[in-house]
Amino acid sequence: MKRYVYINDDESPTQDLYCDNRISNRKYTVWNFLPKNLWEQFSRFMNQYFLLIACLQLWSLITPVNPASTWGPLIFIFAVSASKEAWDDYNRFLSDKKANEKEVWIVKHGLKKPSRAQDVRVGDIVWLRENDEVPCDLVVLGTSDPQGLCYIEGVIECPNPDKDIRRFDANLRLFPPFIDNDVCPLTIKNTVLQSCYLRNTEWACGVAVYTGNETKLGMSRGIPEPKLTAMDAMIDKLTGAIFVFQLVVVVVLGIAGNVWKDTEARKQWYVQYPKEGPWYELLVIPLRFELLCSIMIPISIKVSLDLVKSLYAKFIDWDVEMFDQETGSSSHAANTAISEDLGQVEYIMTDKTGTLTENKMVFRRCCISGTFYGNESGDALKDVRLQNAVASGSPDVIRFLTVMAICNTVIPVQSKNGNVLYKAQSQDEEALVQAAAKLHMVLFSKSGNLLEIRFNASAIKYEVLDILEFTSDRKRMSVVVRDTRDDKIFLLSKGADEAILPCASAGQQTRTLNEAADQYAQLGLRTLCLAWRELKEDEYQEWSLMFREASSTLVDREWRIAEVCQRLEHDLEVLGVTAIEDRLQDGVPETIEMLRRAGINFWMLTGDKQNTAIQIALSCNFISPEPKGQLLLIDGKTEDEVCRSLERVLLTMRITSSEPKDVAFVVDGWALEIALKNHRKDFTELAILSRTAICCRVTPSQKAQLVELLKSCDYRTLAIGDGGNDVRMIQQADIGVGISGREGLQAARAADYSIGKFRFLKRLILVHGRYSYNRTAFLSQYSFYKSLLICFIQIFFSFISGVSGTSLFNSVSLMAYNVFYTSIPVLVSVLDKDLSEKTVMQHPQILFYCQAGRLLNPSTFAGWFGRSLFHAIVVFIISINAFAYEKSEMEEVAMVALSGCIWLQAFVVIIETNSFTVLQHLAIWGNLIGFYIINWIVSTIPSSGMYTIMFRLCSQPSYWITIFLIVGAGMGPILAIKYFRYTYTPSKINTLQQAERLGGPILSLGNIDPQQRSMEKEVAALSITQPKSRNSVYEPLLSESPSGTRRSFGSAAPFEFFQSQASRLSSSYSRNCKDN
Amino acid sequence: MEGKETHGSVGGASTSSSSSATKKQSKRPKYSRFSQQELPACKFIVTPTVVISTFVAIAIVFIPLGLASLFASDNVVEIVHRYDDLCLPESSTAVQHIQSKDSNKTCAAKLAVSKAMKGPIFIYYQLDNFYQNHRRYVKSRSDKQLKYKADADDTDSCSPEATTDKGPIVPCGLVAWSLFNDTYKFVVQNKVVDVNKKNIAWESDRNHKFGSDVYPQNFQSGGLIGGAKLETSKPLSEQEDLIVWMRTAALPTFRKLYGRIEGDLQVNDNIEVVVENNYNTYSFGGKKWLILSTTSWIGGKNEFIGIAYLTIGGLCLFLAITFILIYVLRPRQLGDPSYLSWNKQSPMP
Repeated sequence: MKRYVYINDDESPTQDLYCDNRISNRKYTVWNFLPKNLWEQFSRFMNQYFLLIACLQLWSLITPVNPASTWGPLIFIFAVSASKEAWDDYNRFLSDKKANEKEVWIVKHGLKKPSRAQDVRVGDIVWLRENDEVPCDLVVLGTSDPQGLCYIEGVIECPNPDKDIRRFDANLRLFPPFIDNDVCPLTIKNTVLQSCYLRNTEWACGVAVYTGNETKLGMSRGIPEPKLTAMDAMIDKLTGAIFVFQLVVVVVLGIAGNVWKDTEARKQWYVQYPKEGPWYELLVIPLRFELLCSIMIPISIKVSLDLVKSLYAKFIDWDVEMFDQETGSSSHAANTAISEDLGQVEYIMTDKTGTLTENKMVFRRCCISGTFYGNESGDALKDVRLQNAVASGSPDVIRFLTVMAICNTVIPVQSKNGNVLYKAQSQDEEALVQAAAKLHMVLFSKSGNLLEIRFNASAIKYEVLDILEFTSDRKRMSVVVRDTRDDKIFLLSKGADEAILPCASAGQQTRTLNEAADQYAQLGLRTLCLAWRELKEDEYQEWSLMFREASSTLVDREWRIAEVCQRLEHDLEVLGVTAIEDRLQDGVPETIEMLRRAGINFWMLTGDKQNTAIQIALSCNFISPEPKGQLLLIDGKTEDEVCRSLERVLLTMRITSSEPKDVAFVVDGWALEIALKNHRKDFTELAILSRTAICCRVTPSQKAQLVELLKSCDYRTLAIGDGGNDVRMIQQADIGVGISGREGLQAARAADYSIGKFRFLKRLILVHGRYSYNRTAFLSQYSFYKSLLICFIQIFFSFISGVSGTSLFNSVSLMAYNVFYTSIPVLVSVLDKDLSEKTVMQHPQILFYCQAGRLLNPSTFAGWFGRSLFHAIVVFIISINAFAYEKSEMEEVAMVALSGCIWLQAFVVIIETNSFTVLQHLAIWGNLIGFYIINWIVSTIPSSGMYTIMFRLCSQPSYWITIFLIVGAGMGPILAIKYFRYTYTPSKINTLQQAERLGGPILSLGNIDPQQRSMEKEVAALSITQPKSRNSVYEPLLSESPSGTRRSFGSAAPFEFFQSQASRLSSSYSRNCKDN
Repeated sequence: MEGKETHGSVGGASTSSSSSATKKQSKRPKYSRFSQQELPACKFIVTPTVVISTFVAIAIVFIPLGLASLFASDNVVEIVHRYDDLCLPESSTAVQHIQSKDSNKTCAAKLAVSKAMKGPIFIYYQLDNFYQNHRRYVKSRSDKQLKYKADADDTDSCSPEATTDKGPIVPCGLVAWSLFNDTYKFVVQNKVVDVNKKNIAWESDRNHKFGSDVYPQNFQSGGLIGGAKLETSKPLSEQEDLIVWMRTAALPTFRKLYGRIEGDLQVNDNIEVVVENNYNTYSFGGKKWLILSTTSWIGGKNEFIGIAYLTIGGLCLFLAITFILIYVLRPRQLGDPSYLSWNKQSPMP
C-alpha cells in the first residue's frame, strides 16, 4: 500500500482519506472509562478471585459477616486504582490538548496563516520557525538556507505509516511533470518527524505526510509491555502457595464441619438442624469457610505495592545526588514498577561510547604516510613536526587535511563574530574538522553543492557531487567532489581500518597503517583511516546513473545503495590514520569497581574495535590487569576456527572458574554470530561461567540477543546505553537504563530509567534498588502475616464454635482491619533504611542479599507464616482464657482478640523497623490511637453490634492486663530469637548495623577518591606491544598495564583481599543459586 | 510534551538541523529531607544491653502483676455446684425425665460457705458444651425487632423460629427460643434469701437494645417448646433474663448472671438451694452448674492471667539470665569485622 500526498491541494481526495493531526495518547474517554477500566482490573486473576468471593458473600446462608466487609475494601481498592488511572489519563489529555492547540503556521495559497496544530491535514504546507516543535511528520520543502529548493506542486508517493523512524523511502513527483522521469527520491533525511525541534535554522517549511497518531512517533508509541520484577513473580508464587493452603484448610474444615454437624449438631436441639437439607447442604459449610478464609490473601497487597512502588520511583526522580549539573537533567524513573529489580541485578550490559565515555571527541594523534604525529606530546596538534609539515605544504599532509575537512556531513555556520561553528551529527567528524581547522585547513562554508575550504588564506572551492553515506554495515563513508580549479573529480573516503584497508590499491603498503591503527587502538583511541582516489569523468558519470537509480528504489534501497557504493570505493590511496580520544566519564572506574564488588557481572557491548574496547575496559576497572585478570579471546575467520576457539576458551574457563581469578572473554561480532547460531549451548555455558565479557564490533540486534541469552538463563539483566543503537538492548533487558547524553534522548526515552551520567548507576542500584527491594520484601511479607494472623484466629475460633463457620470478628472490624488498621504503619515502612547510604557504598557486597533474594523467599516467608501462627495462638489462647466464663461475651472477646492483633502488629512493625523517623512514630502510634478512636466512635452507635463494647472494655483493668500479656507473650520470644540470631549468627547486614552503631566504618577502606583518569596520564606508562599470537589459548593482558600502578590504593592488603574474595564469593554464590 | 529531540538532518542536500539534544531542562529536584530520604532517624538495634534490660524489665513488671492477679483471684470466694447429674431420678433416663411435663423437676442441695463472702454475691449459672456461638444459632435473631415495636415483622434472619400461624414471634429466633429456664431458690440459715434480679443485664442493652414498648408475642406457642416462657405483660427491656441470655457467649462453656444476693455470707453458713431443673442439656451431654461468687478488680475467679503473667515473667527472667551468661561466657564483640569477611565459603546465615 502506498500513500499519495498531494501537496497543498484542497480538493484532493487525501483530505478525507487520512486522519487529522489531532494526537491522542488517552487510554479512555469519559464514556468508556468505567467499563474499560473495570474490564482491565478484572482481567487480573486476583481481582476475579475477590469478586467471586464478594459475590458469594451476597448469599446470606453462607456469609459469615456482612457482605460489606468484602465489598467495602474491594470497592475501595478498585476506586484507588481507577482514580490513579483516571488521573494519569487526565494528565495525558491535558498534554495532548496543549499539543493539539499549539499554534502553527500553514501556508495556503502563498499566504501564511496561523492555525492550530490539530487542524493540520495531510498535504498541508507547514511553516516552522527556529525552536518550533514539529507538529507532524513533514517532508521538508525548503528552509532559510538559500540553497534550499522550494517545490510548489506535486505528489509525494510514500509508504503507509509505520513506526520505523530510520526509514522513509518515498518519491516526489512534480506537477506538471516537466520531465517524464523527474522522480525525486526522498529518504528519512528529507523529513522532520513529529515532536522534534527545529534548530539552527531560521525557518523551514514542509509538507505534512503523516499526521495525528499516524506519525512515526505516534505509531511507535503504544503501551509497552509491563515488566514483571523477580519480586512480583515471587509474591505471585507465594500468593499461589497461600491459595493452595487456603483450599486445603477449606476442604479439611468443610469435611470436619459436615461431620460435626451430622454427629454433634443433631443432638444440639437449640440449633434445630432440619432432618433433610437442600441438595447443596454439603457445600454450605465448605463455602462458609472459603469466605472466612478469603482474607488469607490480602486484598490490599496490590494497591499497597503500587503505592510504594510509585514512591520509590519518586525518590529516584527527587534524588538531588543523581542530578546532572552539566546537562541539567535529573534522573527519571519512567517505569515506576520495577525498582526492586534494580536491587537484584546480576548482569549489567553496558555500551561503551557515550555510556562509559563522555562522547566528547578530541583529535589526538595521526599517522600520515608512515610518520607518527603526536606520539610524544600526546596531542598531534601541538606536534611541531606536523605544524612544520603543514607550513611547508607537504602534499601528503595537505591531502590528508583536505580529506579531514571535506569528507563529512558537517555544516559550517558563520557566527556573527566571524568564527566558523560546526554542526555535526557525528562527534568524530566534528573533531576531525575542528582539528583540520586548527591546522589551517578550515571548512569555511557549504552552500548547496558548493563547499569552500580555506587553506591559510587561499580559498578552494569544491563541488560536492555525491555523498556515499555511512552505515553501520559499511563502516565507511565517502564523498565525491569536483575540484573547481581544475575540474578533477575525487573520491574521498574515511572509515574503520578494516573497512578502508581492503579497498587500498594493490600497490600500496598497508602494514604501517595497520600497525598504527593497532597501536592507537591499544591506547583506547578511536581510529579512522582516510583515503582518496581520483576518478575519471566517464567512470563517475556511469556510476552516477546507477547510484541515482539505486537511490530512488522503494524496495531494499539501503542494500542496493551499499552495493553501488562498493563499485566506486576501490583502489583507494590510503593517506593515513587519525586517532580520536573519547575520555572516560567521571567516576566510571569507581562505579564499575563498586558494582563488581557488589557481585554484579559486567559485559561491555560495543561497536568499537577489539583493542580499543579492551583498553577502555582496563582503564575503567572492567577487567583486572595481569596477573589477576586473564583475557580469553574467541575469534577466528572461519566457522571451524571460531568453534575451536570457543571450545578452548570454555575449557580454560572451566578450569579457572574455581580459582580466585578474574577471567574475562573477548568476542567480536563475527565470532559472536557464529557462536550464537551454531554453538549456542557452549556459548551459554561460557556466558554463565564468565563474570566479565567484552563483545566488540557487535550490532544492535546482537546486543539484544546477548541480553536475551542471559535472560533465558534466568539472570536479572540491566542494559545501559545512550544511543539509538542501544534501544533494542534496553528494551530487551529486565531493566533498561538510558543515559540522556549527547547522542540524543532516544535511549533515555526507551529506557525504564534515565540518568545523566554513568556514575549515577551505583546510587541507582545500591541505594534505590537495594532499599526498594528491602522495603518491598518487608511490606509484602508483612501483608501476608497480618492477613494470616486474623485468619488463623478465625480458624481456631471455628473449633470452639462447632466448626460451623462463625466469624469471631464483626463486619466492621474485618473490613477496617485490612484497609485501615494494618495498612498505614507498613506503608510508612518505605522510609526504613537498614543501613545508611554511606555504609552501603562502603560495602557494596551487601547487595548479595538482594541479588540472591535473601529477604523474600519461601524460607523467610515460612518464618512470617510461623510468626503469624504463633501470634494467632497467643492471641487466641490468652483472649479466650482471660475472658472466660462470665466474661465470655462474643463482642467483647472479639474486640480483645482484635486489639491483641493490632498491638502485636504495631510491635512487629517496630521490631522489624531499623530506623525510626518522625513519620514512622506518627504512623505506628497514631494508628494505634486511631484504632481506639474508630472503635470508640463505632461503640457510640446504638444500632451497631459493638455498641458500648469498647468503652466497657477500656474501663476494665482486666482488658488492659490482657493486652499487656498478649504483647509480652507475643513479642518476648520474637525479640529473643531476633537477638540470638542477631548476635550469634549475624548476617552481614546485622554486622554492619552493629558497626554503624559503634560508629565509623569497620574496615578503613580508604575513601575511593574519584581519580582523574584521562588518557594522557596513562600513555606514558604504557608500552605498546603488538598483540601476541592470536591462536594461543589466552592472551596475557598487557603486563605493564597502567592500571597496575594506578591502583596504588589497591595494594593495601585487607582491601585487596576483601575485593578479590568478594568477587569470587559472589560468582560462586550466584552459580549455586541457579543450580538449585 | 515529552519529545525534545532532533532527528536527523533536515533538507535534501544541505539544509541544517541541530545535533545537540541537550536542551537545558534544568529541572533540579527540590531538596527536602523527605524527598532525599534523609529524615532524622533513630536506629533500633538489638544490642545485649537493650535486650537484656528489656527482658529484666518485663520480668520485673510481669511477676508482681502476676502475683497481684493471683492474689486478687484468690480473694474471690466462689462456690461451685454442679447439679445436672444430682437432680435426676434414678427411674427414668435423663432425656425422658427432662422432656416429660409431669415429672417433678425440683431438687435441693446443700452448699457450705468455706470463706466469708461479702455482698453483693453474684449468682451465675454455667453451661458447658453449649454452642451459643454456633453459626446457625448466633445469627438467628433480629435486633431490630427487639428494639422497635414497628419492626415486629423483621424476622427474616430468625428462621426457623420466625413466625407462627398467628403472626411473627417476638422475640424471634433460636437464641430467644432456647432461653434458659432453670430457677434457683436460696435458703440461708433457714431464712429465705431474696435474689435480686434487677439490673443483671447491661444497662446499655436495657436502654438501647431492647424496646420498652415491645412485648412478647406468640412466644413459645409453636409445636416445639424450647426454653423459658416470657411474661407477655412485661416489655422486653424489663425481661432481664432474656437480655442476659441474648448476649451470646463466645465459648461453649460460659456463665451467665442469674441474680445477686445483696447480703454477706458468713463462714460455715449453710445454704440450701432449691433448683428447678428444667433446661435440657442431657440430650447433648452438657453440664450445668450453679455458682456463687464475689468479685475483684479483675472480675471473677480466674487464675489464668496470674499464672500466665508469672510464666511469661519467669521466662523473661530466665532468658535474661541466660543471655547474660552467654554474654559473659562467650563474649562476642558486636560489629566485629571478622564476621564480615566476605570470603567465608559458608553460605550466609
